[in-house]
Amino acid sequence: MASRKNIKFKYYVSYLIVAVALILFTVLQLTGGLKRSTANLLAEIGYSVILAVSLNLVVGFLGELSLGHAGFMCIGAYLGTLFMKVFSGFIPSQLVCLIISMILGGLCAAFFGFIVGLPALRLKGDYLAIVTLAFGEIVRNLFKNLPWFGGAMGYTSKGYGSTLFIIAFVAILVMLFAVQNLVRSKHGRAITAIRDNEIAARATGINVTYYKLIVFVIAAFFAGVAGVIYANYTTPILYSFFSYNYSIEILVMVVLGSMGSITGSILAASFLTCVNFYLKTHLSGDMAALKYLVYALILMIVVIFGNAPALRSFREKYNPKVLFAKFFKKKPNPAAERNDAGSWDRIPTKIKMDELLTVDVKSNESVQDPDKGEK
Amino acid sequence: MKKFVRIMSVVLCVVLCAAVFAACGNKKSYTANNTEYFIGATGPLTGGAASYGISVQKGATLAVEEINKAGGLNGVNFKFEMRDDKAEAAEAGTGYDTLYEAGMQISLGSVTSGACKSFGAKAKEDNVFFMTPSASEQAVIEIGDNAFRVCFGDPDQGTLAAQQIKDDGFTNVGVIYDSSDSYSTGVYEAFKQKANEIGLTFTEQKFDAENKVDFSTQAGALKDCDIVFMPFYYTEAALFIKASAAKGSTAVFFGCDGFDGIAGQFTATDKPANTIKYITPFDVNSTDAKVSAFVTAFKAKYGEEPDQFAADGYDAVMAIYQAMKTAGVSDVTISASDLCNKAKATITSSSFSYTGATGSMKWDASGACTKSAQIVELD
Amino acid sequence: MSTLIDGLSLGSIYALIALGYTMVYGIAKMLNFAHGDIIMVGTYAILTTMALCGFPAVAIVMAVIVCTILGIVVEKVAYKPLRGASPLAVLITAIGVSYLLQSIAQLIYGAKPQPVTLINFGHVTFGSTTLNISTLVTLGVAAVIMAGLTVFIKKTKTGRAMLAVSEDRGAAELMGIPVNKVITLTFGIGSALAAAASVFYLLQIPATSPTVGSLPGIKAFTAAVIGGIGSIPGAMIGGILLGVIEKVCMSIPALNPYTTAIEFSLLIVILLVKPTGLLGKKRREKV
Repeated sequence: MASRKNIKFKYYVSYLIVAVALILFTVLQLTGGLKRSTANLLAEIGYSVILAVSLNLVVGFLGELSLGHAGFMCIGAYLGTLFMKVFSGFIPSQLVCLIISMILGGLCAAFFGFIVGLPALRLKGDYLAIVTLAFGEIVRNLFKNLPWFGGAMGYTSKGYGSTLFIIAFVAILVMLFAVQNLVRSKHGRAITAIRDNEIAARATGINVTYYKLIVFVIAAFFAGVAGVIYANYTTPILYSFFSYNYSIEILVMVVLGSMGSITGSILAASFLTCVNFYLKTHLSGDMAALKYLVYALILMIVVIFGNAPALRSFREKYNPKVLFAKFFKKKPNPAAERNDAGSWDRIPTKIKMDELLTVDVKSNESVQDPDKGEK
Repeated sequence: MKKFVRIMSVVLCVVLCAAVFAACGNKKSYTANNTEYFIGATGPLTGGAASYGISVQKGATLAVEEINKAGGLNGVNFKFEMRDDKAEAAEAGTGYDTLYEAGMQISLGSVTSGACKSFGAKAKEDNVFFMTPSASEQAVIEIGDNAFRVCFGDPDQGTLAAQQIKDDGFTNVGVIYDSSDSYSTGVYEAFKQKANEIGLTFTEQKFDAENKVDFSTQAGALKDCDIVFMPFYYTEAALFIKASAAKGSTAVFFGCDGFDGIAGQFTATDKPANTIKYITPFDVNSTDAKVSAFVTAFKAKYGEEPDQFAADGYDAVMAIYQAMKTAGVSDVTISASDLCNKAKATITSSSFSYTGATGSMKWDASGACTKSAQIVELD
Repeated sequence: MSTLIDGLSLGSIYALIALGYTMVYGIAKMLNFAHGDIIMVGTYAILTTMALCGFPAVAIVMAVIVCTILGIVVEKVAYKPLRGASPLAVLITAIGVSYLLQSIAQLIYGAKPQPVTLINFGHVTFGSTTLNISTLVTLGVAAVIMAGLTVFIKKTKTGRAMLAVSEDRGAAELMGIPVNKVITLTFGIGSALAAAASVFYLLQIPATSPTVGSLPGIKAFTAAVIGGIGSIPGAMIGGILLGVIEKVCMSIPALNPYTTAIEFSLLIVILLVKPTGLLGKKRREKV
C-alpha cells in the first residue's frame, strides 16, 4: 500500500510546486510587493517550463529527438500576436484576448506539428532530428520574409504587462494536468513502450505511428502556447530568437531534469532560467560565453554519466537515491530504486537483459522492507 | 522514498520563501542607498553585434574612470554598468528593469536601435533620462522628451550620401543594405527617398543578419557599378569589399559612420585598390586635441585603437556628466525622475554645448544632436 | 556562369565537410554535431599561425594538425565512453561538444569577427565573366582530395578495414580488424577534411568568428543527409548539389530571401521520398 501512496504523492508534487509558487507570487503581485524584474523572471520561467515539459514528452517519453521545438514556438509567437491584434479590435478584455490567442496559437502550432509529423515520423532517430531541425529553420525563414510579419526587423506585439506570469503559471497547471494524465494512462504506457523497443511495441499491437503523432502534436501545441506567452512577454518578436540553438537550450533543460521526469523538467527549467537571468547581470563581454561553457559541460557530463556503459556499476553504487537511503535509513535499501522505477514519474531507460535480472533479484529480496519500515 | 519526497517539499518551500523575500522590494526609492551616481545601459556583449556593445562599454568605462580620477561630481564618484542585451529588444527591456531596480539614475539607453526602442519605452514610463551613444533610428528619440542621442540620425546620413553621390556625378550607382538592421534600413530609406527626389537611379541589393558573411552573390550583382553606397557596419563592409574586389569591381565604396574601424579589417596583402570613403563624426587619426587625448587614453587602457562606438560611448558619459555638473546636481541619492527633469532642462538650453571625441554637439528638445559630419577617405 | 562556378566552389566546401559527417556516421553510427565547429577551430588555428609567422603553408599544415588532434581527442573523451549507449545520448553529447568548442573559442578570441588573410589570389577575366582564382583553386584541390579519399578507401588495407567496420562492426571485429583504432582514424580523417574545408572557407570569406562553423556545419550536414548519410559519393553529390542550389537561389531576386527555406525543404522532400537519402543504403532493422 505504501508504494501506491508514494505514487499518489509524487503525482501531486509537480502540481504542488507550481500551485504554491503561483499563489505566493500572485498575492505578492496584487499587493504590489513584487519587483518588476522578478515578474519578468517568473514569466520567463513560465514559458521555459512549458517548453521543457512538452519537449520532454517527445524526447523523454517517446524517445525521439526533436530539434525543432523553437520552430513550433515561433509559429505560436507570430500567429498568437496576429490573433491578439485581430481580437483586440472587438474583445475589450485583454485577458480574454490572450487566452483565446493562446489556444488558437497552440492549435496552429499543433496543426503544423501534425503536418510535419505525419510524413516525418516515418523517419527515425538521427533523420528525424535533422528533419525537425530543418523544419524549425524553414519556419523561421518564412516568418522573416513573409510580408505581414514585420520582416527581418521583428514583429511588434503589444506586451501584456507584469501579470503575464500568472497566466503562464495557470497554463503550466493546465498542461501538467493534460500531460500527467496522458503519461499515466494506457496511452502513456504505449508511448514508453515505443521508446523502449519500437519493434516489440508494434508486435504487441500498438499503433506506433498514431502514438508518435499524438505526442508530436501535443508537444507542438504546448510549444505554441509557450510561444504566445513569449510574444506577450517581449516585443518585438525576432525570427533570430527561434534558431535551433534555442531548441538546444530547451533540450539542455530536459536533459538536466533527467529525461522522462516531469518534475525534473520543471525544476531544471526554473533553475536554468534563474541562472541565465543571474548570469546576464554578472557576466559581461566575452565572459558571457561561460554560460554556454557551463551548458555544454552539463549536457556532456549528465549524458555521459547517465549513459556510458562502462559506468553502469558506478551508477548503481552511487545512485543519489541509494545514497539518500543509506544516509537516512542507516542501511542501503535498493528497494527505493525499485519503487521509483515502478512509478510512472520516472521510467527506467532501456532495460537490458542482465539489468532486468539483477533488478528483479534485488527487489525480491527486499520488497517487504519499505512496508515494514512504514509500519 | 516518502521521506525523500517530504524532505524535498520542505526544501522547496524554504527555497520559495527565500525567493519571495528576494522578490519583494520597495518600489519607491531604489536610489536611496546609492553612494555613487549610477549610469546604466544595455548593449550587445554577446552574439553577432557584440563588438559594438563592447566598444561602447570600453569608451564609457574610460570616461567614468577619467571623471572619477578628476574627483567625480563634487567628490561623488560615478559608476557605469552595461547589461548584455544581445541587441535584442526583449533583453533590453528586462535589462532596463534590473538596472532601474539596482538604482540606476541616468542612462545611456541601448547601443542598438531596436533594443533602444524597448529600453526607451520603459524609461519613458519611469521618466529616466537617456543619452544613447549609437542608436540612430529616428524612432528612438521620438520615444519621448527623455530621449537623446550622441550619434547622427539615420535619415541625415542617407540624405547626405545621396546628395554627395549626385554632386560627384556618379551615374552607375549601387546600394547594398542590411534588411534586418534598423540602422541600415533607416539610412537606406532616407537615401532612396532623396535619390528619387533628385533623380538619382541605383541598383539595390540586400542581406540580413544571418547571411552576412558570404557576399559573393551581391558583389557579383553590383560589380559593374561606379560607386556602391553601403550603409552598414565595418565587419560586413570589409567582407563585401573583399568579395567585390575578388569579382574585379573597380567601384568606389561609400559608407556611413558604421564604417569606422574598417581600416583594421585589411592587411597589406588584401587591401583592394578601390577608393573607400565614409561619413563620420570621429576620425581616429585626427590631430584635434580632444580626439587625440581620447585616443591616447584609450590605447593606454585597452591597447587598441578606439572605434566610433567607443568614442560615442565616451562622449555620451561625458555629456551626461557635464549636464549634471551644469545643472548643479549635488544629491547622490537623487531619484532618476528628478535627475531626468534637471538633465533635460539643462541639456536643451541654448547655452549648453559639449565638445568631445566626436566633435562639438548641441541638443534640442527633439533629442537629436547637431554636429558636423566629415567624409573621410581611407588611404 | 559565374553563379555556377561560385556554386560549385561552395558546394565543394560543403562536400568536404559532409564527407566528415558521412564517414563518421558510416563507421561510428553517430552524428558528429560538433563537426562544423572543427572548421571553426581550423580557421582560428590559421588566424593564430598567420599572426605568429605569416606563412600560409605553415598555417595550413598547422590547421590540419590541430584539427586532426582535436577530432581524435573529442572522440576519445566524449564519444568513446558512450559507445554502445543509445544514439540519442551520443547526439546530445555531440551537441554539448559543439557548444563547448564555441564557448572556448569565444573566451579565447572574443565574439568579434576577425579578418583572416590567407592568400590573396586575385581574379581573372574570361570575356564577360570575372572569376575569383581562389574559387578555381578550391574546386581543383577539393576534387583532388575527394579522388584521393575514394582511392584510399577502395584500394588500401586501412580503407577497406573502414568499409568493413561500416558494413558490420561485429563481423569486422571477429575478422581481426581493430575497430576502435579504425573509428579513431575515421575521426582523424574527418577532422583533417574539416581543416581543408576551413582553408577553402577562408579563401572565399576572409573572416572568422566563434560561430563561423555552425551554419556551414548544418548545411553540410543537410548535404550529407541528402546524399545518403554513410555514403561517400553521396556526400560529394549532396554537397555540390546543395552549394549550386544555394548560389542559384541567391542569384534570383525573388527566391533570394527564401534560400534557407528552399534548401531545407529540399532535404525534407528527399528524405520523404527516399528516407535514406539519394545514395543511402536501406538497412533492415533486426530485432
